[in-house]
Formats: sequence, C-alpha cells, structure tokens
Amino acid sequence: MADFDRQTLEHLKKLCRIECDEAEEADILNSLKRIIEYFAQFDEVQIEKGASKHSVLNGMTGNRWREDIPETLLTREEFLSNAPDQIAGMIRVPPVLKTQ
Amino acid sequence: MNRMHYLSAIELRDAFLKGEVTAQNIAQHFLKRIEKHGSALGAFLSVLGPRVLLKAEALDKKRTHGKPLGKLAGIPIAIKDNMHIAGEITTCGSKFLKNYKAPFDATAVRLLEEEDALLIGKTNLDEFAMGSSNENSAYFPVNNPWNLTRVPGGSSGGSAAAISARLALLATGSDTGGSIRQPASFCGVVGFKPTYGRVSRYGLVAFGSSLDQIGPFATTVADAALVMETIGRSCPYDATSLDFPAESYKLTQDLKDIKIGIPNRFLENLRPEVQANYLSAIDIMRSLGATAVEIDLDILKYSIAVYYVLATAEASTNLARFDGIRYGVRSPSAKNLEQIYDFSRKEGFGREVKKRIMLGTFVLSAGFQDAYYKKAQKIRSLILDAFEKAYEICDAVIMPVATSGAFAAGAIHDPVEMYLQDIFTVPANLAGLPAISVPSGFDSEHLPLGIQIIGPQMCDVSVMRYAYAYEQATRLAGVPPAFADEEP
Repeated sequence: MADFDRQTLEHLKKLCRIECDEAEEADILNSLKRIIEYFAQFDEVQIEKGASKHSVLNGMTGNRWREDIPETLLTREEFLSNAPDQIAGMIRVPPVLKTQ
Repeated sequence: MNRMHYLSAIELRDAFLKGEVTAQNIAQHFLKRIEKHGSALGAFLSVLGPRVLLKAEALDKKRTHGKPLGKLAGIPIAIKDNMHIAGEITTCGSKFLKNYKAPFDATAVRLLEEEDALLIGKTNLDEFAMGSSNENSAYFPVNNPWNLTRVPGGSSGGSAAAISARLALLATGSDTGGSIRQPASFCGVVGFKPTYGRVSRYGLVAFGSSLDQIGPFATTVADAALVMETIGRSCPYDATSLDFPAESYKLTQDLKDIKIGIPNRFLENLRPEVQANYLSAIDIMRSLGATAVEIDLDILKYSIAVYYVLATAEASTNLARFDGIRYGVRSPSAKNLEQIYDFSRKEGFGREVKKRIMLGTFVLSAGFQDAYYKKAQKIRSLILDAFEKAYEICDAVIMPVATSGAFAAGAIHDPVEMYLQDIFTVPANLAGLPAISVPSGFDSEHLPLGIQIIGPQMCDVSVMRYAYAYEQATRLAGVPPAFADEEP
C-alpha cells in the first residue's frame, strides 16, 4: 500500500488536468492521505486462486449492442448549441500549432 | 382540494381522472407550495412553471375531450437535476454545467412524460451526485424538512426533501451508493433503487457507470411501484439496459412464507436507537408471516473501501469529458488548449469532485492499479458471492438504511466518517441488487429512520411487495410539522 504525499498529488493534478488553489490543495492532500490509509484494509482480504469471477451483470443479459446503423440523435446545430465557442459550424479552440 | 398535497400520487391521479380537480389546479397548487416553501428547503434548482402549466392545460383538454390519459396523468413530479429534460438546463449541481441546456430527454423522463406526468422542477443534489448530505451542491445546500438544521441526505437530497414537504408527489433520484435510499430514510419517504440495468441510464449524467441506477421517491410504496411500471423498461440507448419487458407490480399485504435474512455480525455496533428500530421492524415482519434467518455477510465490512475505489475510478473517467471544449464552462482566462482543460476544470468543479477525480485517477494509475482497483474488483466479486449464498436461504436481506437519523449540517468533517454514512447502502449497488428504503419510525429527536429491504437481482417486484406489506402494517410515514399546512 502506498504513502500519499505532495509529490503524488502534483503528479495526479497533471494526470487529471485539474488545478487547485492552496486551501483546496491542502484539504485534498489530507483527505486523500486519510482515505488511502483506510484502503489498507484490503490487505486483510486473501483472494484465493480461482476465486469468483462474478460480475454485476452475471445472471443478466450482458451488454446489449445496437445494430451499427447511423441515426441522427442530434443535429449539428443542436450539438453546437452548448459549445463555449464555435466558428463555421465547428467548435473553436485556441491554436494548437505554433506559427513560425 | 386545498389539501391535495396530502393525497398519494395515485389518489390525486384518480381525482383528476374523475374530474374532481383539473390538471391546471394541480400544477398551480404545487407551484404555490414550491414558491412558499422552496427557498427554506433549497430543494429545487429550477422550477418549470410555464412548461408545467402548458402541459396541464393540454391534459385538461385531453380529459375534456375524452382522449386516453396516461397512468401518471396529472401527478406533479420533480426530476433530479442530473437527468435531461430536453430544452431545460441540467446543472448536475455543478457550476461547470450552469448554462448547459439538455439537447434530448433522458429515457426515464421521456417515459414519465408519455404517461402524462407533470414535470414541475429540477431538484438540487450534491455536485455530480457526489455526497451523502447535499452539502456539496455548488449552488446552495438542501435542508431537511423535519428539522431545517439537519441535512436531507445525499446525493438526491432535493428530491427527498421535495417529496417529504409535499412540494411534489413523485420525484426521480439516482443511486450510485445510496443516493436514493439514504435521503429517503433521512426525510421519511419511500425511495427505491432498482436492479442494475432495470431503468435506462440514457440521459442521466454518468458518475459510476457500473453502479448508477435511476429510481423513484414517493410518499407510498404503491406510488413508487407506479413509477417503476413506467420507467422500468428496456432501452436501446443504454448498453447495460436489461432486455426484459416492463413488469407489473401487484402488491400484497402479508409476508407469508417469506424468509428474511439478518446479517447479525455485519450489523454489530449499531447505535442503540437504530438497533431498536431495526429489531422492531424485524418483529413486525415476523408478525406478518416472515421467518428470520441469520446470514453471513461479513464481507460487507469492506464495501465502503471497495465502493470508494471503484466509484471514484469510474467517476475519474466519466468526468474526463468535462474539458471546457464541447460544452459547459470554458475558463475566460485560458490562453491555450492546455489551460482550457486545467483552468476550466479548476473553476468548474467543486472540492469534493476534484478529490474524487484525483482519488479515482490514483487507484487506476500505474503502480497502484493492482493494489487498489483490481483488488477492489476481486472483493466486489466476493460480495456478489456472499449475497448469492445468502439468497439460497432467504428471500430478502433486511438492514437499516443509515447509521443514524439525519445529522446536522457541517457536523462531519472527516472524509472517511462521511463515506461510512453509506455503509448499509453501497452493498446493493456493488451487487446490482434492488433495494428500498421505507419509513420505519423516528429517533429520539423525532427525525425519521428507514428500514432497507434488499432482494436478489431481478426481484424488484418482490422487494416492492415486501415493502408494501411492511408499510401497510406500520404506516409510519408522515408530513413534517412545518409543512403540514392546510392550504397550498
């Protein structure tokens, strides 16, 4: 089981693409330390070889797949109606490539 | 009909069908109640006044012209604000989606509307359904109608409070780890989580996809069953939707030949008044013909740890879609693409959501996945095994819903203590089981308590039948004194 420290938090912020202010960061660090300590109880559980492979869908039907037929569930206009920025029927974002 | 909020949903529908009250009177009555009590409770994030009045007018015309009416005709229903109503805002209790206008209906919402329910408003919740007290709403907290200084439970606290205070007669909730049952218990109403896959999740903003289920809040079990008859249907737009026809809920008043499972060792250390309430519920079920058998569910002591690994892992992937690009807020201070992600998520998400995304990312990250995520999956399988074994000797498992009555707002600071509030509710989500909370009395502070009945997968109707029998014998639901007014 892991120790959870500030360095791990910094790494996680990058993985999650989330910035925090100082107060938030201190609280999140303390909370996650506490919660991960609580998860140490997993060590008490021995999983025997060949143990159950039960999943929540056992006894049910499993995933249902639709036929691969295109449907118009949303028009372009409907989809774009929630976009924070758009141009000529497309979503606009800042330039990704730097110009020379 | 000044007291129509005292009726059950079925009674009000029947009054409408007989012409004793118009749909417009009903809509106006409940809109008035929301106006009068809504701000004290914080139960609603939006009220659909013009929309519901239009629908009511159309229903009155239908009735006058003798056209067929749906089975929910004229019943005011509140929708948890993480489910889409086309053309209306879905905030999920988050600033991230403060302006997000739903482009389509959730399947459950569509089915309710097709049966002529009156959609009256969208209810408050913990942000993205993450919380057990409704203190995590980005807008304002919800207060418990039985005591405004207490929490209503979470995450569907707005729906539970709205039903308890009779601001609507039906409501929807979503239950990932107890988010219907725990607030139902705290607010003294009925709350049902169906078998996983019974109700389509299409149009429900995802939190933990292997755990989430939509279900009803109501003042009676029969009303909750009526909602299930409507929304418990197969749906092609949810790949985990069960491929079975809708069920008819025939309710009976006894528990003859029913074996109820009592997980004594798992329930060690209950608070005395919760234990007394639990034992009294068992006695009542016995008096209705049930036999109690002891079952071994000791493995459930790990269920909170398992749940908070799996639910946060799923949440961290589900909430990756909120990036400020396609919908939701985009930070005005972002200058490049990476800043759009970083700043929009910083400004859009609240602290608990950030915490859970980070925790979920941690348990899935290289080096830790085996110790946390995979181990949790294996223990989840053991939990499924334990329930399966229990159901070889019993028909339903009986447990309290919560460890106490509603606690005070701001009382719990330790995250693990807060998460442990869900200890009796998360097992049903981990195992995909149908489970209901029914009012079972009050604690010494006159706050409601609930009893939980958990059935095997697919036995939703049986769970509802057992709950109905218990409810008919006890009738412990009531209207909170502050909301027991004789007028709208």
